[in-house]
Amino acid sequence: MLQTAFNGFVTGIIVTLPALAITLLFGVLKFPNFAVGAMMTLAAYMVFTLNVQLGWPLIAATAVGAVAFGGLLIAVDYLTFKPLRERGSITLMVASLGLGFVLENIARLAYGNTARSFAIELARPFRFLDIRMNREQMIIIGVSTLAMLAMYVLLTRMPIGRAMRAVSDNPALALVRGIESPRIIRWTWFIAGLLLAVGGVLIGMDRALEPPMGSSYLIAVFAAAILGGLGSPLGAFVGALIIGMVSELSTLVMPPNYRIGIPLCAIALILVFRPQGLFGQPYIRK
Amino acid sequence: MISFLILISIVVCFSAILALALNFQWGLGGMVNFGLAGLYALGAYSCALLMLRAGANTFFATVGAMIIVAAVCGIVAFVTLRVTEEDYFAIVTLGVGEMLRLVALNEDWLTKGALGLTGIPRPLGDVVPPQYYQYFLLALSVALLLGTLWFLNALARSPFGRVMRAVREDDVVAATLGKHVLWARVRIFAIGGAFIGLAGSLHAFYYQYIDPTQFSNIVIAYAFMAVIAGGRGAHRGTILGAAVVMLLLEGSRFVKDLIPGIDSDQLAAIRIIIIGVGLIMLLIYKPQGFLREYRLQVDLK
Repeated sequence: MLQTAFNGFVTGIIVTLPALAITLLFGVLKFPNFAVGAMMTLAAYMVFTLNVQLGWPLIAATAVGAVAFGGLLIAVDYLTFKPLRERGSITLMVASLGLGFVLENIARLAYGNTARSFAIELARPFRFLDIRMNREQMIIIGVSTLAMLAMYVLLTRMPIGRAMRAVSDNPALALVRGIESPRIIRWTWFIAGLLLAVGGVLIGMDRALEPPMGSSYLIAVFAAAILGGLGSPLGAFVGALIIGMVSELSTLVMPPNYRIGIPLCAIALILVFRPQGLFGQPYIRK
Repeated sequence: MISFLILISIVVCFSAILALALNFQWGLGGMVNFGLAGLYALGAYSCALLMLRAGANTFFATVGAMIIVAAVCGIVAFVTLRVTEEDYFAIVTLGVGEMLRLVALNEDWLTKGALGLTGIPRPLGDVVPPQYYQYFLLALSVALLLGTLWFLNALARSPFGRVMRAVREDDVVAATLGKHVLWARVRIFAIGGAFIGLAGSLHAFYYQYIDPTQFSNIVIAYAFMAVIAGGRGAHRGTILGAAVVMLLLEGSRFVKDLIPGIDSDQLAAIRIIIIGVGLIMLLIYKPQGFLREYRLQVDLK
């Protein structure tokens, strides 16, 4: 029980990073991005190339890979989403779905379907309060917490973070106040790229690297972001932890194959009882 | 060669029915369906299981599959759209589709899991002599495709079709004019679902063997591509789009012979990359597609 709760905590904390990325992207661009799963996959494989094929240490590989991936996402946005920006969220969603297929299959084309893993030395799991933990899980918790703190500082203390919040809150008002949205959009993609790359690496450490690794988290990531309230960074964090814990604990009472059902039911329940999520603003139509 | 063409034509027919169903839900109704692959699988499995386990004949199995998929679609639309917006609806359909595929993969007692279902009976399989069967199946598929086209065309031109387009363009205006938006959407999604079930049944009849890998993301990519290429809302365009996309997909099998040293996984990946890039390019450069949606025309003489 305690062990399962701990595993759920780790799953949840992995989901926090992509959930935050989704919620930032949604806040600024106003459509749910279905390509984030594949983006994590591709980023993880980029880091894999640096780490395993070029023999860099994982930390350096992740840092360089994440920055490169952030830049790549700015380019991807320029090519795919920028020309469609004014077309409404449905078109953008369909484009993001297509983009997800492309990115995932670029990874499949380049690296094949076999599962791979990062070059990290194996360490014996240790026990604490009767819970078995391994080093990867410690790294995951540490890295995610640091990333969350960094995001908190960025969003509340730094001009670019405040500008992002302003654009996501009210684009027209932000424009009046002299905040250029193209620049903010570029920054948002870059930061989302960092988050997704680190998230992808953590998933790769927790499980293994394979083409569907990112998209298999997609529903959970959306559930976390919706539970917290799409567009609310704090909500994404809390939502991810809840979704991770509940779906892992659910394996105690139901077959583990259907773990994905929990986030799905969570989405349905949230939509019925509290559509704005835990921390979101109630949505007022027209 | 002739028999290869016939087989491809049958594939084009049921793919076109699937694309028409998506066009009805998304092109005419404005409701994105990212769970298409799972719902398609639901149709194929329902049809196959109704015959293999419940002993239904092919006709009732097909009707049953249509009803089951329509019911699932209706429930999904009702539960989700009662409270929220299209953005959330897309996410929910994606989740439902994944869930259906997981059920097909994991419930061994019912679906035989990854092994798949074999020995699916075909319509009039014991009456029509085997050497002519492919011609018969082609004729049946074409007939069903034309029937689907006729039915959806009639619906699109009926008063209900106008409600659909009104809801798609601006649901607030439609509601202001006294149209029940939620009920209209549930019906749109369920009717589309029925035809997804029909396409799934034909899929099962054609292959006589179904397993979860047949219902992968390429189904979604292909159907969206067909609808966008054909022009959202345009039925004939959708069929044309489906035919072109399917011929490209099937034709790309020969790429394997042209490029040495490429394995089938890589080929599959390349096909999806091409479709995905094509999808985005079409959205950017030709969003209205190649044929136009039906418009009511008044002769001013």
